[in-house]
Amino acid sequence: MMDRHWTAEDVERFADGEASPEDDHLRQCARCANAVLATAQMKRAIRDAMDVGPAPASLRRRLTERATAKWWIVAAAVVATIVVLTPFLLHNRSQPALPELVDMHVTMLASTNPVDVISTDRHTVKPWFEGRVPFAVPVPDFSSTPFRLIGGRVAYWRGNQAAYLLIGKSAHRISVFVFRQENAPKFLGQSPPSVSTLSWQRDGLTFVAVADIPPADLAQLRDAFNPR
Amino acid sequence: MIAGLFSSPRQLIGVEVLRMEDRRERQSFEELALPLLDSLYQYARWLTRNPTEAEDLVQEAYLKGLRGFDGFIPGSNIRAWMFRILRNTFLTSRSGLRAVPPVSLDEEPQLLDEIADGATPESHLLQRADAESLRRAIEELPVEFREVLLLSDVEDMSYKEIAETLSIPIGTVTSRLMRARQKVRKAFSGQR
Repeated sequence: MMDRHWTAEDVERFADGEASPEDDHLRQCARCANAVLATAQMKRAIRDAMDVGPAPASLRRRLTERATAKWWIVAAAVVATIVVLTPFLLHNRSQPALPELVDMHVTMLASTNPVDVISTDRHTVKPWFEGRVPFAVPVPDFSSTPFRLIGGRVAYWRGNQAAYLLIGKSAHRISVFVFRQENAPKFLGQSPPSVSTLSWQRDGLTFVAVADIPPADLAQLRDAFNPR
Repeated sequence: MIAGLFSSPRQLIGVEVLRMEDRRERQSFEELALPLLDSLYQYARWLTRNPTEAEDLVQEAYLKGLRGFDGFIPGSNIRAWMFRILRNTFLTSRSGLRAVPPVSLDEEPQLLDEIADGATPESHLLQRADAESLRRAIEELPVEFREVLLLSDVEDMSYKEIAETLSIPIGTVTSRLMRARQKVRKAFSGQR
């Protein structure tokens, strides 16, 4: 066994640190020892020749610095979102609603068809809203008041559904917007001088009345909606 | 740190950001995989033979490693795992498909029982070889031989680890490595 020469595989396994025959033979056989030495030298030469050095700093940076870049992107996105959304948020929170409602009132009155249901009968108008707005619209009995019902329609204010009632008082016409409280304007603001406005709440609904009549007359209308 | 690399175009910022679980996962992947950067780059260089391609390959491998980190068994060989990912990424790339011949290089009969002869003129030539001409000789080899030389002689991987990295039997590692060295000797002596 001792004097049997190693195979090429034995030599390479030995040089590679893998399981190989006992090395007794190498001590006695210059030829096999030389083969092992040559293989070891070759391994070292290959190692030196294949060494391309450390990864470029640019690559390391690509792998590591994008973390920072990403957080910048996220931060920038957050800032951009805030910047974009802020006007809307502020708009919804603090822009007064009354000027818009007054504009709607004026627009309705200027329209040839200010209402979709035309009826002086509250038993016609009230059921007309069923299925059109997600709440029951109170339509009072105006028979013992100076007001008269003209009709109603569905209105939208800042994406929120509202019931719109058009009510007459002699030659004047009054718009009454009825919102569910959670969708109602939070901040009404000042009424433009050209009109009177009045807002009240009842049974989870918010009412906003707009008309070119004295405020006292609007209070009277409110009382018609809120019978004692 | 490395988490950044892993912000791939496919991941949307909003989805990607703040899940603590992900961050913990990345942390440990980073710890395990970042120390392998030089080795992976070296491997990538010898697979692609192109510095730019190598950088892209390494980056993609890290990205895939991060994404597939769930499949890594803790305590198992991260180097073999990452090398395998890098290699698979290369093989499915365009230059990888060009580089690997459709027929296995291991089909040829082996000369394993050949008696060792360390005194061949080739190996003496090799001993005197300068690194540059040897590097050129290795570069000319098919990719399967280049990589096995790198894994054994540069990375000092055991046959078992090489087998794991290349997904081949250990016997194939032995014979492929022998044939690779044989080819280096031959190619190199031809150059001189």
